[in-house]
Amino acid sequence: MKQTFIRKLPIYVLLILFSLLFLFPFFWTVTSAFKAEAELHAYPPVWIPSSFSLVNFIKSWTSQPFTQYFFNSLTVVIGTTIGQLISCSLVAYGFARFNFKGRDVLFIILLATMMIPWDVTMIPMYMEFNAFGWINTLKPLIIPAWFGSPFYIFLLRQFLLNIPKELEEAALLDGANHFQIYYKIYMPLVKPTLVLIAVFNTLSVWNDYLGPLIFLNDQSKYTLTLGLAQFKGVGDVNMSAIMAITSIICIPPLIGFFFAQKQIIEGISTTGIK
Amino acid sequence: MKKLGLLLVFILIFGLMGCAKEDTKTLRFATWDSEDTLEVQKQIAKRFEELNPGVKVQVEGYGDGYDQKIAAGFGAKNAPDVMYMWDFPTYQASLETLNSYMDSDESFKTLMNDLYPGILNYSTMDDKVLGMPVGYTSHVVYYNKSLFDKAGVAYPEEGWTWDDLREKAIALSALGDDVYGFAFSTSPDPYDFEQYYWSFGTSYLSNDGKMMDGYFNSPEAVAMMQMFSDMVKEGSALGAQDSVSNAFRGGNVAMQESGIWPLERHIESIGAENLGIIALPKAKEASSVINSSALCMAKDSKNKDLAWEFIKFYTSPEAVKMRAKIDLPVLKSVSEELNYTSDPLYKPFYDMLETAAAHTPAFLLNSQYSKISEKMLYAIEKVFVDSVNGEPVDVKAILDEAVSESAQFLE
Amino acid sequence: MAKKLGKIKLKKEIIPYLFIMPWILGFLIFTIGPLIFSLIISFFDWPIVGQPTFVGFGNYIRMFTKDKMFTHSLFITVKFAIIFVPLYMGIALGLALLLNQKIKGQSFFKTVFYLPSVISGVALSMIWIWIFDFKYGVINYLLSLIGIAGPNWLGDPKWSLIAMVIASLWGQGTMVLIFLGALREIPKDYYEASMIDGANSLQRFYKITLPLITPALLFNLIMTIIAAFQQLTLALLMTKGGPSNSTYFYAMYVYNNAFKHFEMGYASANAWIMFFIILTLSLLVFKSSSLWVYYESEVKK
Repeated sequence: MKQTFIRKLPIYVLLILFSLLFLFPFFWTVTSAFKAEAELHAYPPVWIPSSFSLVNFIKSWTSQPFTQYFFNSLTVVIGTTIGQLISCSLVAYGFARFNFKGRDVLFIILLATMMIPWDVTMIPMYMEFNAFGWINTLKPLIIPAWFGSPFYIFLLRQFLLNIPKELEEAALLDGANHFQIYYKIYMPLVKPTLVLIAVFNTLSVWNDYLGPLIFLNDQSKYTLTLGLAQFKGVGDVNMSAIMAITSIICIPPLIGFFFAQKQIIEGISTTGIK
Repeated sequence: MKKLGLLLVFILIFGLMGCAKEDTKTLRFATWDSEDTLEVQKQIAKRFEELNPGVKVQVEGYGDGYDQKIAAGFGAKNAPDVMYMWDFPTYQASLETLNSYMDSDESFKTLMNDLYPGILNYSTMDDKVLGMPVGYTSHVVYYNKSLFDKAGVAYPEEGWTWDDLREKAIALSALGDDVYGFAFSTSPDPYDFEQYYWSFGTSYLSNDGKMMDGYFNSPEAVAMMQMFSDMVKEGSALGAQDSVSNAFRGGNVAMQESGIWPLERHIESIGAENLGIIALPKAKEASSVINSSALCMAKDSKNKDLAWEFIKFYTSPEAVKMRAKIDLPVLKSVSEELNYTSDPLYKPFYDMLETAAAHTPAFLLNSQYSKISEKMLYAIEKVFVDSVNGEPVDVKAILDEAVSESAQFLE
Repeated sequence: MAKKLGKIKLKKEIIPYLFIMPWILGFLIFTIGPLIFSLIISFFDWPIVGQPTFVGFGNYIRMFTKDKMFTHSLFITVKFAIIFVPLYMGIALGLALLLNQKIKGQSFFKTVFYLPSVISGVALSMIWIWIFDFKYGVINYLLSLIGIAGPNWLGDPKWSLIAMVIASLWGQGTMVLIFLGALREIPKDYYEASMIDGANSLQRFYKITLPLITPALLFNLIMTIIAAFQQLTLALLMTKGGPSNSTYFYAMYVYNNAFKHFEMGYASANAWIMFFIILTLSLLVFKSSSLWVYYESEVKK
């Protein structure tokens, strides 16, 4: 017992060292939210704020309709995550488990669509959504997710490709159709990856700034990040409000992540496969 | 014609019809304001709604993302009806000229007399008025009285010079390793920075906006840049990478130049009793650039008359007074009513405003300004950064290089 | 009978397309239009707020012959990518391997590594600016405690790119999780079998672990390359490309041409060149992948 601990000691030391590094930005965000204006910029740095009053959090949260923003963000997150999971799993399955005409070319095209920078497609996208009548609604932020995102399709494909083919053949012999195989055999096997996709999507949507900025006009439709960016005015920055709101809006994805990561750990210990 | 073709291609691809559902009674109004100041804009808009029953004003606040949002809106032909504007050279083709509205409106003429002279120049291109100023800020020096007291240095007085500033800065910096008498950004906005050129008796470009050689790199400009460089090297000034205002709030910087923006949080951090404000020092003269907040109207707006009514209301004493919290009132009557012209916290801004009419920023003089300013910023930044890093600095050579690099844009 | 068989066969051929249909539809509805638009506009001079004028290959010619910033920003980006990609992948894999050990506090460590990714970019960039500040920043403060005068991280052209790399490394969480997911999928009996064969841990890593996570490695490699080339937000918020354009990334060049200089046509041309560079790199990686990526099911030829 003692021996294994000693053997593992370097691992713990390394992990703790890295943890400190990775914890630091978060630590600083949260403590800064408590600091008075002068403490924020003091030198030598003030590590522990002089008071732990929640006033700044409440003041920042109520200075804009953040509760409304929260529900808008939540709507987008739920709407896109469901869409991504359904569409990406179907598409990735199609690319990974079939050999069909044009597959490789189509897949390259799929990858290629990630490589054009946003700056130059933004205005035509705006025109298009405007023509659809979607500007100033949450639709441009949600509906495209129902058609799959290359990042997640690619990711899931990689994991699907790694599953032995015998499974599928056995199922086909049993008379199952492809949709049943996809749904009943493969999806349970890649469940950790699906959870991963849900986690990634939640976070990227939660922290998306450009999409909401360009496609939303009315404050009642704003998302959290857009509200957060409001604290950065033209001439001055309200740093303590930014830190306070950032600390608050970190919480939901973190809670979500904490539960999700258990799923990722459990992983594919479903050993029966091999 | 070509644009039409493009549009057609676009529509064909999607087989869609543009469906613009314009509620004629809704006016879109976009602002770069955020937080409290956005709240003020909303109150003014609400007041306008009260005065004009049946009208709804949709106030859109974009804060820091304003420029990108407006660009996308114009690019996609879906710009707000009325919006704040500073970048008139870029957007002039898409903005409605306001002269005819102003001329046909008798009541507006008395208002124009109330406006501080010179401010309108900042939203006028080729005699076309493209925006109505509703607020402004000039630039001043903020100073931390407690550091002055600690160092036994006299507070700055009106009519002070850059030499005075430097002398004080040296004395103040002696307070400690982390304390600096003066701080400036090593990467300033070239628009704001031109006031130092004016102060030393030169400018970025010639008055017709066509010459850079002999202006940007003039002996006066070299002397000014050399002064900043020397101050950094002798340790009396901090060439700041991070925001200068933040350093000031930390209590380690005694003097800082800025517009009105940081005022409120400066008071919050170092205390009102410790905060002093004074006009900018002079070399040949004391000069400040003006950052004007002007309202403009989109050429494509479908509610132009209503938009004009809205702009007019915003320029009225009632609205200007309401938004006095955001920056400074552009109307003499309002400024006097609020005692801003005598309040020591605000008076320096008005003193600096008087210097503004004498100069036109290079920004308004040359249509290629954004590219030229990139080269200018590179040079300014290089002088400062090299000074901070203790490298040898040949100011003249660096400024000369920017001039030759910019030649292609001046043709 | 024969007819029926044909029908079944046709149906069978359609099945894969049915699966990928959502993406095809999305591509046709949302993606291809804006792509074609930006390609067409790259042959125009379009100041966003005015009429576009056709300039043929003018934008492309100007980019390659007259514009120093084009080559400069490309060079900066390549330099960044060369430092960033291996470091990023290496650290991510290292952390994933550590986390894959039987240790206590798994969930805690994993959450911690993911934390910086949860913090929104606005706040994160402010923290980084403060961390790196040469006078009042925390790194140089800590260094000063042990008597070292720290460099001017963001203000010295020699250090600024390194500072950007360091700041970017904090976004590890995603890659770590992907690697970890791949490591978890390796069936335990593989290791057990090799233990019986007497393989040591290094051999096990090379013979079992590494080959089995190559699909994830390929994914991470391509995504990291794309991310390195599109690096923009942090630089925009932290250095705006300076000092002395030492962090003037290609993506910033495109962004500035589009939204600072209002040359959307030119920016589109820039973007398409970047597209071809990334695409070529990705294709090279992809083509080479048949040599080093090992899929347990080789549905491919």
